[in-house]
Amino acid sequence: MLMIFLLGALKWLGLIMVFVMPVASLLTWAERRQSAMMQDRLGPNRANIGSVRIWGILHFVADAVKMLFKEDFVPAKAHKTLFRLAPVLAFAPVLIAFAIIPFGPTIHVDHLFKVLDPYSAPSGGERLQIFTAEFGMLFYFAIASIANYGTTLAGWASYNKWALLGGLRASSQMMAYEVTMGLAVLGMFLVTGTLEPGAMVDWQGPNPLHWGITVQPLAFLLFFTAAIAETKRAPFDIPEGEPEVIGYFLEYSGLGFGTFFLAEFVEIVFVGALMTTVFFGGYHIPGLYQNGFYFGDWFFELPHVVVAVLQVHAFIFKVIFFCWFQLLIRWTLPRFRPDQLIHLGWKKILPMSLANVMITAAVLLWLGL
Amino acid sequence: MSHHNSDHGHHDSGGSGPGGEVTVRSVSARNPKVRTVELRAKPMGLERAFLPAIVRGLTTTAKRFFENTFTRAQIETIEYPEERPDYPARFRGLHRLMTRDDGSVRCVACMMCPTACPAHCITIHPGERTDSHEKFPVIFEIDELRCVACGLCVEACPCDAIRMDTSTHMHPVDFRGDAILGKVDLMKRGTLSTANQGGEKGNWRATDGGEGSRGPESNVPAGPR
Amino acid sequence: MSDQVTLEIDGHAVTVPKGTNVLEAAKLVGIDITYFCYHPGLSSPAVCRQCLVEVSGNPKLVPSCYTPVAEGMKVAVASEKATTARRQMLEFTLVNHPIDCPICDKAGECTLQKHYHEANTLPSRVDENKVHKGKRIDLGPTIVLDQERCILCTRCIRVCDEVAGVHQLEMAHRGDREVLTTAPGHLLDNPYSLNTVDVCPVGALTAKDFRFAMRAWELFSTPTICNGCATGCNIELQHQESRAYRIVPRHHAEVNRYWMCDEGRMTYKALHQGRAATPVVDGMPASWEQALATAAEQLEAARDRGPDGVGVVFSATHSNEDNWALARLARDHLRVGRVYVAGRAAAPERADKILRDADVNANSVGARAIAGAGGAVGGLAELEADLASGKLRALLVLGADVPLSPAALERARSLDALVVIATREQDLATVAKVVLPAADWAEVHGTITNRQGRTQRLRAAFPPVGQALPAWEIVIKLGRKLGAMLDYPYPRALFLELTEKVPSLATGEWGKESPLVQLRFAGSRG
Repeated sequence: MLMIFLLGALKWLGLIMVFVMPVASLLTWAERRQSAMMQDRLGPNRANIGSVRIWGILHFVADAVKMLFKEDFVPAKAHKTLFRLAPVLAFAPVLIAFAIIPFGPTIHVDHLFKVLDPYSAPSGGERLQIFTAEFGMLFYFAIASIANYGTTLAGWASYNKWALLGGLRASSQMMAYEVTMGLAVLGMFLVTGTLEPGAMVDWQGPNPLHWGITVQPLAFLLFFTAAIAETKRAPFDIPEGEPEVIGYFLEYSGLGFGTFFLAEFVEIVFVGALMTTVFFGGYHIPGLYQNGFYFGDWFFELPHVVVAVLQVHAFIFKVIFFCWFQLLIRWTLPRFRPDQLIHLGWKKILPMSLANVMITAAVLLWLGL
Repeated sequence: MSHHNSDHGHHDSGGSGPGGEVTVRSVSARNPKVRTVELRAKPMGLERAFLPAIVRGLTTTAKRFFENTFTRAQIETIEYPEERPDYPARFRGLHRLMTRDDGSVRCVACMMCPTACPAHCITIHPGERTDSHEKFPVIFEIDELRCVACGLCVEACPCDAIRMDTSTHMHPVDFRGDAILGKVDLMKRGTLSTANQGGEKGNWRATDGGEGSRGPESNVPAGPR
Repeated sequence: MSDQVTLEIDGHAVTVPKGTNVLEAAKLVGIDITYFCYHPGLSSPAVCRQCLVEVSGNPKLVPSCYTPVAEGMKVAVASEKATTARRQMLEFTLVNHPIDCPICDKAGECTLQKHYHEANTLPSRVDENKVHKGKRIDLGPTIVLDQERCILCTRCIRVCDEVAGVHQLEMAHRGDREVLTTAPGHLLDNPYSLNTVDVCPVGALTAKDFRFAMRAWELFSTPTICNGCATGCNIELQHQESRAYRIVPRHHAEVNRYWMCDEGRMTYKALHQGRAATPVVDGMPASWEQALATAAEQLEAARDRGPDGVGVVFSATHSNEDNWALARLARDHLRVGRVYVAGRAAAPERADKILRDADVNANSVGARAIAGAGGAVGGLAELEADLASGKLRALLVLGADVPLSPAALERARSLDALVVIATREQDLATVAKVVLPAADWAEVHGTITNRQGRTQRLRAAFPPVGQALPAWEIVIKLGRKLGAMLDYPYPRALFLELTEKVPSLATGEWGKESPLVQLRFAGSRG
C-alpha cells in the first residue's frame, strides 16, 4: 500500500516537475513571443546569461527572479490568512487534477523489448496515470471547483472593492461555464460508457475516426469554449485583463501575483491535456497499435518500449499543440462584454450542450448500442 | 471581419460584403465614406455563431505566426541599440541653447517658451545683467522626461535662442534628476547664432549708423520696428 | 433734460451727460477708440493723437478724448479717414520704439502691443536706425525708467501732478530726442510713485519690485481689498502657485478711484514672511487636535474660576467674520468679563489727504463695532493696565498685531491661559501657551469695513500657508472643544448674522464671487 502510494507520488512529481511546470513556465515567455510573431513584432528576445541567449527563453527565469525579489505586499485591512491562502487555492487544484490524466500507455516492465500481442495485453503493468478511478472526470470537476474559491477569496480578502468585483466576475463566469463543461463530457460519457480518462483513451484507440473529435464534434467545441472560459483568458478575460481590466489579484505582488500568473498557464497546459485525453485519443498515434504501425495492409512491427516512448511523445506533442492553439485564440479574438459572456454561457452554450446530450442519447438508443 | 459601418454595437459582423444588407440613412457631406447605415438583416446560422469568422481570424494570425517565425518576413521591430533608424532632416531632438558672439546665452528669459510649452517642462528664473541685453536666465532647465518634443518652444522663441536640431534624443538616465538639463548642459550643444535680435533688418542696438543695419535678411520672422 | 446731450457715433445714438468726452461716449455704445495719453482718472492733454475721430462739419480730425459731446454731433470712428489716421499715428509711435518685448516687463499688458496686434501687425517701413536714449535710468527708490520705450504720453507726469500732488517728472528736449526725466538731482520718490507704472502704456516705467519677477500673463488675479490701512483701497492681488507677486489698484469711484499708495502695494510681501504655519503648544509644534484640546482645557479652567478674569482681544486687522465668530464664542459661551480691540500702532506721519490713513489697521471700524456690540471695550492701554494690575487671568487673542510693551508681554507670559489665533509669531504670540495659525487676508473670504464705514469684500486668492486655517474656522473648532455649538458652514453665514446683529454694519453686502482669472486669458490691463 505504501509502495503504491509512493509510486503514485513519484509519478505525480515526475509529471509536474518534468513536464507541467517547465511547459507552464516556458509558456509565460512563449505567449509574449508568439503574440509578437503574430503581430509582426519581435517580442522578448534579450534575456541572456552571458552570451547564451537562445531566443530569449531565459525571460521566464528573469521574471521568476524579479517576482522573488519584489516586496510581498499585504494591504493593511486585508484578511491576512485568506489573502495568503487564495493563491494556493487557485494553484493547487490544477496540479492535483493532473492526477487523472493518462500521459502514456501501460508499461509492462517485463516485456519492454518484446513485441506485445496485439489483442491481449499482459496482465499487470504500470499505468502512466497517477490516479485511476471510475469517477475520474467527476474527481476533476470536484477539484476544479476549489479553484473558484481561490479567485473569489483573493478578491474578497484583498479589502479592495475592485478586486472584490473582479472576484465576483470570476466566480460568476466559472460557475456558468463549469456546467457546460460537465454536460459536454456527458456526451463523451454516453458514447464511451466511462468517466475514467484512461478508459476513454483506450476506447478511442489509434483510429482517428474513433476519436472524440469525430464522434462528438459539437461536444468538443462546447467543451473547448467552456475550458477557455475556465482559464479566464481572452476572449473571456473579463475577471482580469492584464492591461485594462482590474481583476481579483489586483492587490497581489511578488510571488502571490506570480502564483496566480503561473496558475493561469498551468491551467492552459491542463486544458490542453484534457482536450487531448477526452477528444484527441490521448497518447495514441493514428495507426500505432501496441505491437506496431498498421496502415491498411502495411504493417511495421515495434517493440513495446518504442511504442511507449512514441506514445508519450505523441501526448506531449498534442498538449503543446493545444497550448499553442490557446495562445493563438487569446491573441486573435477580441474580448466579450460581461453581459455577452453570461448570455453566451447560459443561453447559448448550455442549451446546446443539453441538446447534444439528448441527441447523442437518442442516436445511441436508435443504434441500439 | 466585415466592413459595416454600424451604429448599433450588436453582433453585426458578417462574412459577406456591405452591399445589399444595409440601408444608408445619411452620408457625410465632407467625407462620402462616412455613412450612417441601418442593418436590414441580422446574420444567420453559422455566421451568428461567429465560427466562420473565428476560423478566418485564426487562419490569418496563424499564417502570420508561421511566416514570422520561420522567415521573419514581416517583422517591423528595430533592435534599437544595434540598429538605428535614420532620423529625418527636421527631426525634433534634444534641445540646445544658442550663444552670442561673446559666448553668452542668447536667451533673454522672455518666458515665451514656458508659456507655449504644453508639457510645462521648461523652468526659467530671470535675472538682470548690466550690459545692453538687460535680462538673462539665471536658471534655465528643461525636464526632458516631461518634454513631448512638440517644438512649440522653438516656434515661440523670438531670439533664436532655443533649438531642437541636435538630431539626437534624450539618452536613458539612472536618476530622474539627470534628465533635467540645466543651462550649462543645454549650451554645451549650442553654437553661435547670427540671427539678429530685435527685428529682421539690422541691429537696433547698434550705436553707430552703418554696422549691421544693411545686413542680409535673417530668418527671424518679420515684426514691428 | 438740459444736462443730457444726444449724439450719434457710427450710426448709434447715445445720450450722455453734458461735459462727457466723445471717447467715453463711444465706450457706452461698445466702440473702443484706441488711446495712449488719455486716462479716465486724469486730465486730457491730447498729445498722443491716437484717438482721432471724424466729426461732421469739422474739416480736421479731432482727438476724441479732448472733444466734449455736443447736441446733434455726428461722430465717425470707423470711417476710412479716421481709421487711416489712427493707423498712421500708431506707425509713427512705433518708429523709435525698440521692439524689445522679450525683455520688456510690460509685454502681455502693453497698450502699444495690444493696439499694434489689433491694428495691422505689419512690419516696419522705416529704414533708418532708431534714436537711442537712456536705458535703465534709476528714477528713485521704486522705479526704473527706459527712455527708449517711452512714447511720450505724459500720463506719469499727470499722475504725479494730479494724484500725488507733486511735480516730479517732466519732458526734456524736443522732437524725436524728447525724453521723460526728473529734474537734475531730484528723484521720483512720492508715496504714490508706482501709479506711474500702472498708467504707463508701455514698459518705460517699471517697478523695481516686480521687475523681471514674473511675466504678467502668467499671473492669476483676485479682486480683494488692501490690508494696509483703514482706507480700504480696492485692489487686485496678482499671484501664481500660491505666491503673490504684486498688487495693483482696482477702480472704485468712492474709495480709491484708480490709485493706491506704494506702501499698500508692498503689503503682499508679509503674506510670505514669518508666517505661523503650524499650531504651537508651549513653544513646540503640535497637531491641531492637541493644540485645540490644550487651549480649550486652559480656557475652561480659567472661566470656571470666574469669567471676570477672562479677557478677549478682537483684532482690527482681521475680517468682520473672524471677529464675529470670536464675539459669539467669547460673549455667548465664555461670557468673558473684559473685551479689548487691538491692532497695529497708528502711524500719524503717513496720513495725508489723498489715500493714506494714520490708522494702519484695515478693519478698525468693523472690529470696534462688533466688539462694542456687547458693552464696554478697551484698547491697548486698558489691556496693558489690566495685565499690570493682575486682574486678568486668561486671555483669548485674535490677531498677531498686539504691540504691547516688553513688560506687559512678560506679565502675559504668566497668565493661566493665553491662547493666540495669529497669522505670524510676534508680540503676544511669542509668549502664548497656545498659538493657533490663522490664514492671512489674502487667504480668506470675508468683509472688512473701512474708515468711511463701507463694508468691502475680501476674496481668498490662494489656500492658507502650511496648516493654517481661517480664523473663524479656528474659533468654531475651539468652540466645539469648549462645548459651544457654533454652526457656520462658510463665512457668509457669519456675515449674514452679523449684519443682522450689529446695526452699524447692517448696510454691508457680501458681493459676488469672483472666478480666478489668469491674465493671459483676461487680455491686457493696458
